[in-house]
Amino acid sequence: MTRAAWLFAAPALLGLLLFVALPFVLAFVLAFTNLRLGSPLPLEFVGLEQFHRIFSDPAFLRALLNNAVFALVVVPVQTLLALGLALLLNRRLKGLALFRTLFFMPVVFPLSLVSVVWILIFAPGANGMMNAFLETVTLGAWQPRDFLHDPVLALPAIMLTSVWQGVGFQMVIILAGLQAIPGGLYEAAAIDGASRWRRFWHVTLPQLRNTLIFVVLVTTILAFRLFDQVQIMTQGGPRNATTTAMYEAVQAAFARQQVAKGAAITVVLFLIVLLVTVLQRRLVRQEREIA
Amino acid sequence: MSRRWLIVIIVLGLSGCSDDAATPERPDVIHLRAWAHAGQAAERRVIQAQVARFNERTPDVDIKLTLIPERSYNAQVQAAAIAGDLPELLELDGPYLYNYAWQGHLQPLDGLLPGDLSNDLLPSIIAQGRYRGRIYGVGVFDSGLGLYASRRALSRAGARIPGGPADAWTAQEFTALLQALAAHDADGAVLDLKLNYPGEWFTYAFSPILQSAGADLIDRNGYQSADGVLNAPAAVKAMTTLQAWLRGGFVDANVDDGAFVTGRVALSWAGHWEYARYAGALGDDLLLLPLPDFGHGTRTGQGSWVWGMTATGKRAEAAARFLRFLLEPGEVLAMADANGAVPARQAAIANSERYGDGGPLRLFVEQLTEGYAVPRPQTPAYPVITAAFQQAFFDIRDGAEVRAALDRAVAAIDQDIADNKGYR
Repeated sequence: MTRAAWLFAAPALLGLLLFVALPFVLAFVLAFTNLRLGSPLPLEFVGLEQFHRIFSDPAFLRALLNNAVFALVVVPVQTLLALGLALLLNRRLKGLALFRTLFFMPVVFPLSLVSVVWILIFAPGANGMMNAFLETVTLGAWQPRDFLHDPVLALPAIMLTSVWQGVGFQMVIILAGLQAIPGGLYEAAAIDGASRWRRFWHVTLPQLRNTLIFVVLVTTILAFRLFDQVQIMTQGGPRNATTTAMYEAVQAAFARQQVAKGAAITVVLFLIVLLVTVLQRRLVRQEREIA
Repeated sequence: MSRRWLIVIIVLGLSGCSDDAATPERPDVIHLRAWAHAGQAAERRVIQAQVARFNERTPDVDIKLTLIPERSYNAQVQAAAIAGDLPELLELDGPYLYNYAWQGHLQPLDGLLPGDLSNDLLPSIIAQGRYRGRIYGVGVFDSGLGLYASRRALSRAGARIPGGPADAWTAQEFTALLQALAAHDADGAVLDLKLNYPGEWFTYAFSPILQSAGADLIDRNGYQSADGVLNAPAAVKAMTTLQAWLRGGFVDANVDDGAFVTGRVALSWAGHWEYARYAGALGDDLLLLPLPDFGHGTRTGQGSWVWGMTATGKRAEAAARFLRFLLEPGEVLAMADANGAVPARQAAIANSERYGDGGPLRLFVEQLTEGYAVPRPQTPAYPVITAAFQQAFFDIRDGAEVRAALDRAVAAIDQDIADNKGYR
């Protein structure tokens, strides 16, 4: 690279170094110590003790499982939903701008606000909005449940909140991808006599490939960073049914002042996200070579 | 996560720079910085007016007040402490005091508060401020915790109305009362435990159950272990009773914080801060009662924000003048009137409409002065103790086996104490 190129890249590189690389290196080093926030005791290197502790902590193992389940459900559901919404909103409709704004609006809301609103929606008892809705659609067969304190329903409740909040963002990205597809391709396909379904399958999807890869990747990473909804809606409960790696890290570092343990958790989380990302890119690339 | 990390890193990075270059120093004026939490609007106005009055009255001391949002207060103070940049005067959330004192940031206040002032303070204020035999913090107000009730609902259920803390309902009586109330209730939920509140509430409000049963959060003799105390049979029994209320459908989830004021429940386990709203909604029907007795007499929570100082030498004397000013009966009353809390001094209580003789919240004063209120454990391990107990409470609420949940809390607490070499 030329000197000018370095110069132009410098602000971004400096930012990355200062706010991404440095904290990670610090976290990595701290994970091998016994650092506690503000402790007057001398800092000691304790080797792998923090890692040993988090991997023998059932709450942390459950957190990893929850993260995995969350990602396995939310990533496909949210991506498909975003694709559907984008297809619906990519046609000439009256009040199109209004619909696009409405679907995008939850993304603009702070997650904390969204979580509080959904706590009200999931209110227990027959008067809770979700309970009342389910009772109506099942013609009275639904028995009111306390969603956020139900070991089976709490994680799905958080998934629903997350999908509702996040789907607009993916929708906008896919919408941009859809609009970048040249109209000529569809015309050519139509002339060849391709049905709507085949046009979607053989024109739209292949053209959206890069967009979808990006969306899946970003959603996966966000799924592993799940924190706000958990902190506000369930505090990891009931009985760790909704705890996540990030929630455990924040609890350790800031509620219990065990910075070293928090650092160890974030290091593990970082490695897992890195692994998942690399794996995904590998798989996608191989497909591309075959295609 | 990332934001708090940022604060720590920025503070670490910038700790070399300092910002005291601005004001031109008059040699005879002592400049002090004071940090306080930004509470409700009325509270903020009072502390700002108090600082202005003090600066006016005391020309040789100049206090600069900074208000910090309550939610991130502890994180910011901790970051400043790591950077060695704490102000001379600062407010702290009561039970965190001991951790700061252990970290060596706070100066003892012994000898700086005159004897007649100390003797006039509520005993609970002294108890909360004490760590290892010395006073590190002093509150301008204290808190009160009790059961608010609807008189009409209780008489419909044929309940006995306790006359004072010595006469509190027993836990069995209370369970029977819940059942009697539930029989006439649409959804069967008749008790509000403020399940909508965030973290610290659960330790503040429900550790008194343990103490009333003869157990505790930790063995207070040396604060070295919670084993055999937090998981003692008495603690298991008390928390099992609480679990039965929660799992039996007697407790309203209170997601809208309106269970009591809208009449959905007849009983609300809550603090002094709810009085104004409850009195507005229920009027003469409102009753204030002590928490149920689990065997060793009713126990209740106490403690709130306290002032501590980091100043030494001549500056310590100047800082102490500010604390003495805040503790003048008129100033104590001004703050207590603004936030509704229990005034810290008997002299102020005597002139308080709510807390004076015959006042509607007199019970809170009786609880604080007659030995019913228990301070949260005075140990640097408190942040871990409260986190562990909260986790146990949530697990118990969600149906975990009580003994196992308490055992896990004990293990977490004892591990932390061992990691810190006993906090000696």
